[in-house]
Amino acid sequence: MKRSLAAALVVLRKELRDALRDRRTLAIVLVSSVLMGPLVLLAISGLVASLESRADRREVYVSGLAHAPTLRNYLERQTYSVHEAPPDFEARLRRSSFDDPVVVVPEDFEAALVRGDVPVVEIVSDSANQRAEASTSRIERLLGGFSRERALLSLALRGVSAQVLEPMQVDDRDLASTQTRATRITGMLPYFVMLAVLYGALHAALDTTAGERERGSLEPLLMNPAERWALVAGKWGAVACVSMLIAVLSCLSFLPGQWVLRSDTLQAMFQYGPREAALFIVLLLPLAFALSAVLMAVAIRSRTFKEAQASSTIVVLAVSLLPLVSVFDLGGEAPWHLWAPALAQNTLMTRVLKGEALGWSQVAIPLLVCAVLTALGVWYVSRQLHQAAVK
Amino acid sequence: MIEVRALAKSFALPRKGGGWRWRGARTRADAPGSGNAERRVHAVVDVHFDAPDGRITGLLGPNGAGKTTTLRMLAALISPDAGSMRVDGIDVAARPREVLARLGVLSDARGLYPRLTARENIVYYGALHGLSRDAAEARTAELARMLDLTQLLDRRTAGFSQGERMKTALARALVHDPPNIVLDEPTNGLDVLATRALRESLRWLRTPAGGSKCIVFSTHIMQEVERLCDGVVVVAHGRTVATGTVDELLARTGQRDFEEAFVELAFAAERAASEPLP
Repeated sequence: MKRSLAAALVVLRKELRDALRDRRTLAIVLVSSVLMGPLVLLAISGLVASLESRADRREVYVSGLAHAPTLRNYLERQTYSVHEAPPDFEARLRRSSFDDPVVVVPEDFEAALVRGDVPVVEIVSDSANQRAEASTSRIERLLGGFSRERALLSLALRGVSAQVLEPMQVDDRDLASTQTRATRITGMLPYFVMLAVLYGALHAALDTTAGERERGSLEPLLMNPAERWALVAGKWGAVACVSMLIAVLSCLSFLPGQWVLRSDTLQAMFQYGPREAALFIVLLLPLAFALSAVLMAVAIRSRTFKEAQASSTIVVLAVSLLPLVSVFDLGGEAPWHLWAPALAQNTLMTRVLKGEALGWSQVAIPLLVCAVLTALGVWYVSRQLHQAAVK
Repeated sequence: MIEVRALAKSFALPRKGGGWRWRGARTRADAPGSGNAERRVHAVVDVHFDAPDGRITGLLGPNGAGKTTTLRMLAALISPDAGSMRVDGIDVAARPREVLARLGVLSDARGLYPRLTARENIVYYGALHGLSRDAAEARTAELARMLDLTQLLDRRTAGFSQGERMKTALARALVHDPPNIVLDEPTNGLDVLATRALRESLRWLRTPAGGSKCIVFSTHIMQEVERLCDGVVVVAHGRTVATGTVDELLARTGQRDFEEAFVELAFAAERAASEPLP
């Protein structure tokens, strides 16, 4: 037993050294995992900042402004700057080269208003043009205000109380905390972190199994008196160390990533401190261990590195798609989510971002699943090792 | 000391792809009369030989004769269907790890780790054999001197030539100073000088100063056997068809040229093989 452990350590040290010598692959994986945090945050904050600035802008574009002096007067009283819409606004809205919805006023607007007819005012937008669409509800509210003001005035002239029009008052109360609201935007972070771990483990896992077969070094390796499981355990340990390194680095990369947040709102909402980073790491490590073992088990059946890459696609796909269940499944969290690897980690990491507490059972279930997967993977690789060497 | 008795091994053929055959070996239905006619290839049918200490035993046979399969069984990589193998009196099937500790194998596959230096490749195997770091380093230096590898030790093996690879792989196989050495076609892809150097090393390992090793050496090249081997085991179609020294085999076949003698022995085996098996 002691001898086998020593052999496992020897293999572990050698595989780590081998992996660290592969500078190019390592550099790509490390750079992408370390830069990922700041880059993702930068992209998110850019998006949020642009939405915020649009929401704050008090501008409205009207086509046929000259026909509606009353409306113009109202809009300007609401401190909006009113612009005449460009003549080709429809085409430009479709092309997304114009980012504001346009209010189209008919020619007889004023006359109809005086007569007491109901003139039709269009708000023209393109639902495929996201930025224009984002402003539509604001313009709707604005025009609604105009209608209400006109109605109140006519009622007041007839001596009717304004309360007749609004027999009840509607108030909004949002239950979501700032952090919960933020996860609508930062919710993709766990996903990126998991992908980094997956790709970190992928190369090392394939190199120690299918790569070893392709080089023809597996057969001589098995002619050593070390136990098979010790060899496999050492290899697995090395792969797990590499993916662990990636996991830790990518989790920590979001800490300095916060400095690049341009939006103050987002900075206030995105709570990611050392505590969150530590929880992320605790949740990710079992997944990193399990992924290492599973990838090795898939790769040991392949004769070449290339073949192994093809067959590992299924694992990559599963890890990439499982977390999306929580996106598509509008029924919300189901208990089985915690039993599915990758999905469980995604769910729990999202909870960490929301600032919710994690219970022991919630952490224990994915841990158990990952432990079983790891054991199965290592067992399968040891079983296949001899067959793989001679084929 | 290596003893191999009545060794046999067959492999199941894949069910599809009927045209596919184990190289050179003969196929037939497994047990005649069993309706479930699974096609099997008999890689090794009856191989037996004794390789004593302090001697070089050549395992001579054409391609596909079953040499590699025999040596893989000896190294406990695959288990035989029948027969027994003993290394220094230890049964391979019963105590494979003890056997591997007393065996240095240079197999058909001799892949090195390209990102490690020659020294690291060799020391790695030393550590796997349970040598301490110092012992493995010392042994590496000693083998490097013997195999003229010292200049290469601290270079990564990625750019090594065939000969340099073979030397490194041989040093790796011998790092634990095994009393028994098994080499599978070691001169494949080597030039004249490298082949000569290897021969010299093997001759030295056979002497008492070199440790009186028991060396088993598989090849399909007559000249190597003539120049190097103290005993020859001719293997054809998975069977041992003749054993003896080069001179004995020449006398037995009445030939003066060893190549002719070998062809005659192998041809006889071919005739024997076409007859029904006992």
